[in-house]
Amino acid sequence: MGNSGMFWALLGAATAAMLAGMGSSIGVGKAGQAAAGVCSEDPTKFSKVLIMQLLPGTQGIYGLLIAFITLSQTGILGGAGSEISLVKGLLYFAACLPMGLVGLSSGKRQGEAAVASIGLVAKKPDQFGKAMIFPAMVETYAILALLISILAIFGVGSLAI
Amino acid sequence: MSVLAMKRVLICSTKQNRKGILETLQRAGAVEIVRNDALQDEIFTRQDTSSAKAIFQKNASLVNQAIGILEEHAPEQKGMLDSLAGRKELTVAEYERKVKDRDESIAACNEIIALEKEYAEALADVPKLEAQLVALEPWLNYDLPLDYPGTKKTSVFVGTLPGYQTLADVTTKLAELAPEVENVEVQLISQTPQLTYVFIVCLRRDAEAISDALHKMNFAKPPLEKLNPKEATEQITREIEKSKKKAEEVSLKIAAFVPRRDDFKFASDYFTMRVDKYEVLGGLDQSNHTFLLEGYVPAVKAKKLEDLITTKFDAVVEFSDPTEEEDTPVLLKNNGFTAPVETVVESYSLPSKGEIDPSFLVSLFYYVLFGMMLGDAGYGLIIALATGICLLKFKGMEKGMKKTLTMFFFCGVSTAIWGVIFGSFFGDTVNVVASTFFNRPDVTVKALWFEPINEPMRMMAFCFLVGLIHLFTGLGAKLYELLKAGKVLDAIYDVVFWYMLVGGAVIYLLSMPMITNMLAITWLMPANVAKIASYVAIVGAIGIILTGGRDSKNWGIRIAKGLYSFYGITSYLSDVLSYSRLLALGLATSVIASVFNKMGSMGGSGIVGVIMFILVFLVGQTLNLLINLLGAYVHTNRLQFVEFFGKFYEGGGRAFEPFTENTKYFKIKEDM
Repeated sequence: MGNSGMFWALLGAATAAMLAGMGSSIGVGKAGQAAAGVCSEDPTKFSKVLIMQLLPGTQGIYGLLIAFITLSQTGILGGAGSEISLVKGLLYFAACLPMGLVGLSSGKRQGEAAVASIGLVAKKPDQFGKAMIFPAMVETYAILALLISILAIFGVGSLAI
Repeated sequence: MSVLAMKRVLICSTKQNRKGILETLQRAGAVEIVRNDALQDEIFTRQDTSSAKAIFQKNASLVNQAIGILEEHAPEQKGMLDSLAGRKELTVAEYERKVKDRDESIAACNEIIALEKEYAEALADVPKLEAQLVALEPWLNYDLPLDYPGTKKTSVFVGTLPGYQTLADVTTKLAELAPEVENVEVQLISQTPQLTYVFIVCLRRDAEAISDALHKMNFAKPPLEKLNPKEATEQITREIEKSKKKAEEVSLKIAAFVPRRDDFKFASDYFTMRVDKYEVLGGLDQSNHTFLLEGYVPAVKAKKLEDLITTKFDAVVEFSDPTEEEDTPVLLKNNGFTAPVETVVESYSLPSKGEIDPSFLVSLFYYVLFGMMLGDAGYGLIIALATGICLLKFKGMEKGMKKTLTMFFFCGVSTAIWGVIFGSFFGDTVNVVASTFFNRPDVTVKALWFEPINEPMRMMAFCFLVGLIHLFTGLGAKLYELLKAGKVLDAIYDVVFWYMLVGGAVIYLLSMPMITNMLAITWLMPANVAKIASYVAIVGAIGIILTGGRDSKNWGIRIAKGLYSFYGITSYLSDVLSYSRLLALGLATSVIASVFNKMGSMGGSGIVGVIMFILVFLVGQTLNLLINLLGAYVHTNRLQFVEFFGKFYEGGGRAFEPFTENTKYFKIKEDM
């Protein structure tokens, strides 16, 4: 059990990147299918539906961000691999969980909202502004999770345990 | 800086001026024409224009089809940014000259469509012929016609057997299935994993036995061809070439129409305008010699409109103020700083009757919030430069596009300013470059104020402060609306009490060490100030509980409703917390930028390292800019729509839709 703290920290980083990435890939995938359908009828709506499709993609990026902060805080990235106690490693793991889990579920749900909004844009292109807000509502929770994860990781980093 | 006042306009003139007046109005684009059903009686009736409209519609779609075909055969050279250039301008004289060519254009378009048909017919057989070529390919080694029956004494079988079979396989199977046949010659022509192509010769008397045996082996005859495969292939290839050559000739004929593309575009616009005009014409009330036209015009343009019409035509132009019940259309008018965000307001909803135009307030915060979310000097400069150059280069840009680009220009400037305040220039690029390639880790971009990534809690406190100001401004707008409507008591009940409650509570919270420690604020609110603040908050709370349910007469229900509206304090909490996205998205920008910089600097400080850094920098920073630009745009809108508008703005107004040239390619100038 020489450096199992490091293992937990890395597991946390991996979890955040994996789960949030999964959520986004599900969401962007679903929205992409709907967007392609709209384009088959009216290719001029490409740019509008593309933006809609990208909306659920942010969770994956937030996950990457959390993973990266964790990696650089723990020194896994950057080479200064110092020893991390088991407790601290577990704390890093816990800090990564909000982003991973909320990223997974919100990415999926935001994708569903984006699909509906793409349908709205297909029928009423002038309602683009409103259509964009519905998926963005879901993203709020991903942002809140991101915030907690960031604050927790910085907080854990400054703890002397 | 507000919603433009509208006038109702009534134009009356003789029928001979009908065409001229309608065309003038269409070019001026300042009047929204309405149908007034109250005017119809025995004298004034409406003309049925649907058949004339249908003809113009048909012509328009014919011309558009021809333009599409022309584009396919001779694509127009277009730069990526040319779509920003807007429609070409025509003077009225040029317009009149071009109108004369419209029938020729229609004839030419019909020709193009006929040629396209010829083109399609020429190519129609090609896929079939190409399929034949593919089918013949395995037979190329065979030099007899495929339907060759044999000689006087021998029979020939040519065809395919399923699967990949060797010569030995075929002969053994034949011997098994037709043991009585002694003399049979089998040759393989070619083999694929799916089929084996064989040539079998036997004596004529054995033909039946062999045929039966082959039948059992799932033998299939090839497509019958009189020629031998090689000749057939050559002939088909010649035919394909001939068809393609013919198609090419037709295509060239179509391309010969390129010089007239502009005429076609004009014709397309012309017929579209005619359709619109006849639509309006159908709604006009006409007597035997006169006609009436009613509509809305912005009050500031009323005088000009009157001059424009009365100097050119014998007509009566009358203005009146729209009544309260009327569904008057809404047009916003703002200065150059605020006008760009009108598109944001429009995409939510235009102000309904009696509401103020929120554009100015929105613009005050829009650029600031956007800049905080993106918060990088480098990205801000790129956005401002890109949009600024486009704005300078394309003067004739369409209005909507111009507004959007101007909005992003201001957003870019704000982003750059916040980038300087928070010390971010393409993330931490300066530091990474200095430490990787020049071994100077001490070189950094100094933040004017502080770096959010090092003091996230301080940044969060700042975000909440911005949020509170934003929300209080929204509440202030509601106060203004209520006072303007003379509802002083409502203003006190619904706004002032909330100011007291929320403001008092915030000041009181700042006196608690627990809160200030959390938000990393170094000073504490003095105890006596906090005490006063808490009293103010309590008065506000009591006021809300007592007045929140003032619609109800019954005091029990009234207090219950009041308590419920007091519960609305939780929505203030969530509204303020919502501004933490400013911090989160700002951090996301700088951290993702530093992720890419770290990746880029992994190649070391050699030449390879420099090249790698440049590549990763270009790709990574572009990606980061695009992703966060989208994020900042979406979430700035959200903060405006949900948190800000939630406090005072409902919207529901109908947009002003003037009778205008709804054209795609040209714009005809009429001075107005």
